[in-house]
Amino acid sequence: MCANCGFPSAPGHWTEAGATTASERLRARFRRAELLRRVLSPYGLTIHDDGAIPGIMVSTRSGHHEIVADLTELWSAVERMCGRKVDPLDAAFTGGSESTKR
Amino acid sequence: MEPALDGRIKLTLLGGFLGSGKTTWLRHQLHRGTLCDAVVIVNEAAERPVDDALLVRAARLFVLAGGCACCTGRDDLVELLRRLCDQRLGSDARLSAARHIVLETSGLANPGSIVDAIRSDPVLIHHIVVSEIIVAVDALNGLEQMIREPLCRQQVETADRLIVTKIDEAGIPAVRRLLATLAQLNPGAALSGAIMGSPADVPDYAGVQPETLGEVSEETSGPIAALRLDLPEAVDWTAFSLWLSALLHARGDEVMRVKGVIRTPAGRLLLQSVRKIVQQPEILPEADEDAERNDNSVVFIGRGFAAEDLRRSLRFFAGED
Repeated sequence: MCANCGFPSAPGHWTEAGATTASERLRARFRRAELLRRVLSPYGLTIHDDGAIPGIMVSTRSGHHEIVADLTELWSAVERMCGRKVDPLDAAFTGGSESTKR
Repeated sequence: MEPALDGRIKLTLLGGFLGSGKTTWLRHQLHRGTLCDAVVIVNEAAERPVDDALLVRAARLFVLAGGCACCTGRDDLVELLRRLCDQRLGSDARLSAARHIVLETSGLANPGSIVDAIRSDPVLIHHIVVSEIIVAVDALNGLEQMIREPLCRQQVETADRLIVTKIDEAGIPAVRRLLATLAQLNPGAALSGAIMGSPADVPDYAGVQPETLGEVSEETSGPIAALRLDLPEAVDWTAFSLWLSALLHARGDEVMRVKGVIRTPAGRLLLQSVRKIVQQPEILPEADEDAERNDNSVVFIGRGFAAEDLRRSLRFFAGED
């Protein structure tokens, strides 16, 4: 890669590029966990990230759990654990007429 | 690059499918100084431009946004080129010195239609000669795009030079197959490779079986549209990136391209994705008010989704609903 003609890239996973200081990073992790809990609870999944574990822990109601490093891994794990993808364009998220309660 | 012998200015067309690496390639050429005397025109199908932030090294940069120059933006392109030709002959010293125009098309343009627009214009034909059509092909997605998108094939077919970009990111067998397919589709074009715009060797593809490209019906695939999403105040980077990562995981084949500049505590981040792959965000320098007007506005290009659904879904993911 040519290091001269571009602008510097943010290190780490792309979803974590919005924070630079340790406190911003921690705040972003907590907010991420809070948002994920809300999105994933209808799928029967719970999220745990206390800022100390190396990633995000996602668990099913039966107690099965996985720790994933980032959001790219998380969506694959969620698909594996509940057998379907979380699709943001699903009517349940867009408020469309076909909205069904999960 | 010398001007054409008859006094007409040379125009290089730089085309390629969505996210194929056109701007990255051009940016490197400008950095190397190979095109520093060129006037650069960037055309984007989306209403708001992003690429201009990346091409700050061009001698003169013009942006045509809000319509692809091969169809809806065709008149705007002709008008801009006519104006450039006028100014070049007139008092504008920087333009008189320009020897070359580089037109970076939108990812949805058929270069053939743009060449046709220039050649069929009674004024431009006397001022501009199209010297080369360069088409960028993504080593990772190029084959899939040729199989699915008739437009991508048209782009490859019209090229004088094909540049296989991101050649280091795909496996050698896949690159060989892509090269063999390109050579079959357009045997006359020169083939080369590039990594972040720098020239790279292409592997030998002699004897490799090209991919069979079947018929694709435009009707079943539907048109590709570009739309813009302005991020609401309450949506921060964490919420947006969480939502986008889920969207690309589920809909990466339909959401073909996402780009935009987003303000975060870490600075202005340039976000770009091609299908499921998101490029490491670049930290852009602070810009003037005019350029920052476009911040927090993200362009989505693809098919099978509506702006309103994206908006509602994002609000839900951000906890606003």
